[in-house]
Amino acid sequence: MIAAYRCGLYLSKHPRAWMVAGMLLALPVICSAHNISADNARFVEGIDGPAIAPFMYLGAKHMVTGYDHLLFLLGVIFFLYRARDILLFVTLFTLGHSITLMTGVLLEVNVNAYLIDAIIGMSVVYKAFENIDGFRQVFAIQFNAKVAVFIFGLFHGLGLATKLQEFALSSEGLVTNIVSFNIGVELGQAIALAFILLVLLQWRQRESFQNHAFVTNTFLMTAGFVLTGYQLAGYMWV
Amino acid sequence: MDKEAGRILKAAVVAIAAAALILITLILPAEFDFDPLGTGQALGILGLSGSAPKTVSQQDTNYQEDAIQFILQPYESVEYKYRLKKDSSLIFSWKASGAVTFELHGEPDGGPEGFAESFSIGKRDYGNGTFTAPFSGIHGWFWENRGTDAVTIDLTTAGFYSAALKFRDGFVDEKSLDNSTQAN
Repeated sequence: MIAAYRCGLYLSKHPRAWMVAGMLLALPVICSAHNISADNARFVEGIDGPAIAPFMYLGAKHMVTGYDHLLFLLGVIFFLYRARDILLFVTLFTLGHSITLMTGVLLEVNVNAYLIDAIIGMSVVYKAFENIDGFRQVFAIQFNAKVAVFIFGLFHGLGLATKLQEFALSSEGLVTNIVSFNIGVELGQAIALAFILLVLLQWRQRESFQNHAFVTNTFLMTAGFVLTGYQLAGYMWV
Repeated sequence: MDKEAGRILKAAVVAIAAAALILITLILPAEFDFDPLGTGQALGILGLSGSAPKTVSQQDTNYQEDAIQFILQPYESVEYKYRLKKDSSLIFSWKASGAVTFELHGEPDGGPEGFAESFSIGKRDYGNGTFTAPFSGIHGWFWENRGTDAVTIDLTTAGFYSAALKFRDGFVDEKSLDNSTQAN
């Protein structure tokens, strides 16, 4: 994660690297624009035994193209300035989602993907509301931010587990494949974080950051509500 | 309540209202065919993703059943297609005594001479599935025996087609199907 931070720092000092970074960032979006998940499923279901690279790729792809996870991460690091804090919070998030990803798939925990994704949407709302100091100012309560990021990490992990469970996984090499998927998720998260940090670090140097931070978190909260509503509609109607 | 808390509450209310607006006017119509304000219809995004799967689709053509057998000598081929209107579907199952090259394809009505769109291609000794016509025209299989032994292919279908056409050795044999004449 320090590498991701350094990468963001480097890019913020070298404007030309932005162009390359932008193209790299656009790549997964372009790739996912054409829905290939059905092909992915067919490919994965053909696998019988350990397959490290395909599952790592799928994990990374899910993270890099998973805007719910990315919005939450953006909220988490929005006001984190020190590399140590970023590392700590991201580690707590990683720990949380790794626990439920592994146990969720291995114990065949059956949770509804829409409900979990709705909770993940609410995690974005929570973080944005906390960023504008809503809990303290409006409700006069304050949650421990570290505990919260860990607990929401657990829910994000359950979401990841439901995605992996959608594939008819072979029990052959299951542990290797889940671990590979998990490592892929972390790699994807590091890549995504690098880009989020890149933009944040650039932005923080400008005056507009302080002026627009409140509005940005209001937008983030809106996005969280939209995600939640979208998933609840899916739960009710699909 | 102090000023700051009021500002935050206002932001939260705005966020919920904006989210509800986006959901009701755009996302629910496009993703779930739910269009309470008619905005999806007005913007032409209603049912865009078709993510609400249609479990039932009504068909206005008569229900048909058909079964046919072909024997292909080495390097012989046959084409067998059904006349289907757009969105009409059929369910099919074919078995061959040996692997044959096949292509499931369709020729749109009024399309250029010899134009065909391929849907599925491969070499197997069976095929099971459902087919929904993406356009009005004739849709069906091309089979070729590239082995060294004769192959027997048995095809059974049921669906909402109006005719079956067999193309073999340069001849076209069109069989009109309706409920009164049971297919062989």
